[in-house]
Amino acid sequence: MARSVDVLALLRQASPVTRREILKRAALGGISGPALMAMLRSDASAAPAGPAPRLRQRSQDGEPVQGGTLVLTGHQEIASLSPDDTGPTVHWVMITQIHNALVEMDENLQFNPVLAESLPEVSEDGLTYTFKLRQGVKFHDGEEFTSEDVKYTYEWYMNPDNAAINAADFAMVEAVEAPDPYTVIVRMKEPYAPFLARVASKFIVPAHYHSQVGETEYKGKPIGTGPFKLKEWRPAEYTEVEAFEDHFRGRPHLDAIREEVVPEPSVRAIGLETGEAHSSVWPLTPEDNIRLAEDSNFVVFVTSAFAVNHFPLNNKLPQLSDKRVRQAMMYAIDRETVIDEIFQGAAVVATSNLSPAMGDFYNPNVKEYPYDPDQANALLDEAGWVMGSDGVREKDGMKLSFVCTTITGDQTRRPEAELVQQYLKEVGIDMQLQEAPVATILEQLRKGEMDASLFNWTYGGDYADPDDGGTLRSDGGSNFSQFQNARVDELLDAGLREIDREKRIAIYHEIQEIIAEEVPFLFISYWDWYNIFSSKVKGLPESALVGDQIYAKAYQWWIEE
Amino acid sequence: MLRYITIRLLQGVVVIFLVSITSFIIMQLAPGDPVDILIGEQQITPEQIAAIERKWGLDRPWYVQYFTWLGNVFTGDFGTSVVRTGQPVREMIFEAAPQTIKLNLLSLIVSMLIAIPIGVLAAVKRYSLFDYGSMVGATLGIALPNYWIGLMLIIVFSLKLGWLPPYGSGSWKSYILPVAVLASQEMAILARLSRGTTSEALSQDYVTTARAKGLRDRTVVTRHVVRNALLPVVTMIGYRIAFLLSGTIVVETIFAWPGIGQLFFNSIDRMDYQVVQAIVLLLATLVVVANLVTDLVYAYIDPRIRVR
Repeated sequence: MARSVDVLALLRQASPVTRREILKRAALGGISGPALMAMLRSDASAAPAGPAPRLRQRSQDGEPVQGGTLVLTGHQEIASLSPDDTGPTVHWVMITQIHNALVEMDENLQFNPVLAESLPEVSEDGLTYTFKLRQGVKFHDGEEFTSEDVKYTYEWYMNPDNAAINAADFAMVEAVEAPDPYTVIVRMKEPYAPFLARVASKFIVPAHYHSQVGETEYKGKPIGTGPFKLKEWRPAEYTEVEAFEDHFRGRPHLDAIREEVVPEPSVRAIGLETGEAHSSVWPLTPEDNIRLAEDSNFVVFVTSAFAVNHFPLNNKLPQLSDKRVRQAMMYAIDRETVIDEIFQGAAVVATSNLSPAMGDFYNPNVKEYPYDPDQANALLDEAGWVMGSDGVREKDGMKLSFVCTTITGDQTRRPEAELVQQYLKEVGIDMQLQEAPVATILEQLRKGEMDASLFNWTYGGDYADPDDGGTLRSDGGSNFSQFQNARVDELLDAGLREIDREKRIAIYHEIQEIIAEEVPFLFISYWDWYNIFSSKVKGLPESALVGDQIYAKAYQWWIEE
Repeated sequence: MLRYITIRLLQGVVVIFLVSITSFIIMQLAPGDPVDILIGEQQITPEQIAAIERKWGLDRPWYVQYFTWLGNVFTGDFGTSVVRTGQPVREMIFEAAPQTIKLNLLSLIVSMLIAIPIGVLAAVKRYSLFDYGSMVGATLGIALPNYWIGLMLIIVFSLKLGWLPPYGSGSWKSYILPVAVLASQEMAILARLSRGTTSEALSQDYVTTARAKGLRDRTVVTRHVVRNALLPVVTMIGYRIAFLLSGTIVVETIFAWPGIGQLFFNSIDRMDYQVVQAIVLLLATLVVVANLVTDLVYAYIDPRIRVR
C-alpha cells in the first residue's frame, strides 16, 4: 500500500512496506532525494512531480527545549474552534491542538489510536466496531474523558435537529453504546469503508460542557483533551493556545501556539523571512514557495494535493452536453504549458478525479488527453459543430459559446482561465470570462444555473478516502457539473460498502476510467502543496504525504533560537 | 435652528432606512448564501444543505428576514453571523471599528498637520521650487496605488532594514507603516486642495485691500487668507470623518489589520447578511451625522451661511 488507507488492512495491522517506511529508511540510510523519488515512482502509483521534499533527520535536532511560542500565519479568520468546523485549514490547525479523536490520521496517512488504546475490533460482518478507551485522560477543565463523551459527540452529529455540517459522515451509524466508562461500541446500518476516516477521526467534545453551553458558544470557548488549551480567541486577529499541563501524552515542549490572520500571501512570505512567524499554514504565492524552498533557513514539505484544479462544466447545457465537445476541450488545452506558465511547474497534469496522492486508489491507466488541437477539431467536426465566419463553431443556429465565472479577485486562476480561453478559441470554442463571489458560484453551480467555473475541489480524498458521493453522484449536494451517470452512482454506493481493499480499489479505478472518458469537468492539474517552516522549529516529522496534517504533531516540536 | 436640525435628523433616518433596505435587497438578489461556503468540501446531500439553511433561517422570504433583523436592532441585537457564530455581530463590530477609527484618525491628523501648511505655503510661494516639489509629491501620492506603496514600505522597513513589523496591530510600531500609506494619499488630496483654495483667496479684493492697508504678508495670510481658504478644506475633512470607518480595506488587508474594512469585505464575500447589514447601517448613520455636523460647522465658520 502506498498513500492510502483502508480499514481492514489497518485493523489487521498488516503492514507491508509502506511509503512511510521507504522514506524512513531513506532518511536513515542517507539515500538522496532524487534517488528516493525514483524509488517512490517505481512503486505502483505515480509520485507527485515538483521539487523533492527535503528529507530531515529528527536525530539532528538535538535535545528538546522547553518554552517558546510557535507563531503561525493563515489567510483567513479563525471563525470557529468547534470540531464541526474543521473544514478550513486555518480552523483545523488550531482545533487539532485543542481536541483529540479516538483515532487520528497522521501526516503520512496512517491512522493511529489516540483516545482509543488501539485500533477498534471489527465484527466479521463489518457492522460492529469496539473501541477500548485510554484511561486517565483529562479534559482542560480537569474532568475525566470517558465513553459517555464519545457517545455524546457522535450522537450530537447524528441528531438532525443540530443540522451538523458533518452529519453526512454519520449517516451509516445505527447506534453508539457506552457499556462501561472505557468501552465504546459503534453499530453500523451497513458496512462502511470510510469508518476510520469519517467517524472514528471526529474530535471528541466533553459531554458535560458542550451539552451545557451549546454548540454556538462552544465555537469560541472549546474544551478538549488536546495538548494545548485555548488562551485567547480574537477571530479576526489571532488565536492563541497554551500548553495543557495535564495532557495525557505529557506537557508539550512549546508554551504556546499563536495563529495570526495575514490575508496577503506576499506579506506572509515576508513574515517568514523576517522571523515574525515560523510557518504559514496556507500556501504563499507559487513564486515565494519556490524561492523559500531553496533557502536553507527553511524546512519545506512538498506534497501533492488531493484536490483537482478543474473547470466544472454544466453538462446539461446544450452546447456542452455532448461528451465529444468536452473531450475536444481536453485535447485543445496544453495543460503542461498551463502548469509551467501559471504555476511555475509546481503541479502535475490531472488524469481524472483522484490525485496520485491517493496511492493505490489512483488509476494512471485511463484515457489520456495529450495536447492535440487536430484531434480536438476532428471531434468537434464529428459532433456536427461547424466553424462559423467569426471563428466560433455553430450547430443548428447555436454558437459553441459559454461563460466561465471565476472567483472575484482570484489572482492565480484568472490568468489560467485566460490562457485556456485562448486554447479553446483556437479550435472554435468561445469561452467568455466573468467574475463572481465564491458563494454565488457554488450556489449557481449546485443548482445548474451557471455554465462553468474554475477552482480546486476535492473529488475524493478527504482524509485519504476515495469516496466522492457528494460531487459525482447524480444527486450529490456538490454535483457542480450536473453529471448524471447511473453506473457511477452504482459504483459510488458499492464503494462505500466494500470493505475488501482490492475490490474497493477496482471500484474507484472504474470510476476514474468513466470520468476520464465522460469528462464531466475539465481536469487540469493537481497542485503541489508547500508547507514551509522556519529551521528554528525542531522535532518536525521526517517526511509528510499530506501537508495540513503536519500541524497535528506540534506537541512534539520545540523552538531553537 | 432647532427646527432645522430636527428636520435634517428626520431626513437622515429615512435615508438610512432606504440605504439599509436597498443593500439588503441587492444582497438577496445575488445568488448564494453563507451556507454554500460553510459546508466546504463536505460530502453532503441537497437535503442536508437545506437543513442547515433552515437552521439559520435563510429559507425565509427576504422581507421576513429583513424586518426580523430590523426589529432586533431596536433592542440592541444586531444579529448573528452565520460564519462566525460564536460571537454576536455587535461584538464583532465593537472589536473591529476602533481598529479602523484609530488608523483613519491618526492618518487624518498626520496628513492635516503636514499637508495644510504645505499647501498654503505652496500657494504663497507659487511657482517656486517648493511649490513644484510639493505638487509633484502630491500627484505621486494620488497616482501610486495603496497596495503598491504598502508593499514597498514593508519590503524596505521590515524586510531590508528590520525596523518595523511587517503586519499586525500589536504595538505602536505597527501603526507607522499603515498610517504612512493612508496619510500619503490623504496628504496628496489635502495639499492640492489647500493650495488651490489659498491661491484663489490670495487673488481676492480683500487681500489687496489688506495689503494696501500696509499689513505684513504674514499677517495677511494668517488673518485673512487662511480662514477663507480653509472652508472647502473643512468640508473635505468632514467628508473624511464620515468615512473614518471605511476606505481602508486595502491597507487593512496588506497589514493584516483587523478592522471594519476587512470584516465588511469578507462578510460581503461570504454573503453573511446580518454582518453586512449591521455595517451598512453603521456607515450610513455615520455619513448622515457627519454631513449634518459639517453643515453646522460651516455655519459657524462662515456667517453668510448662518443667515440663510
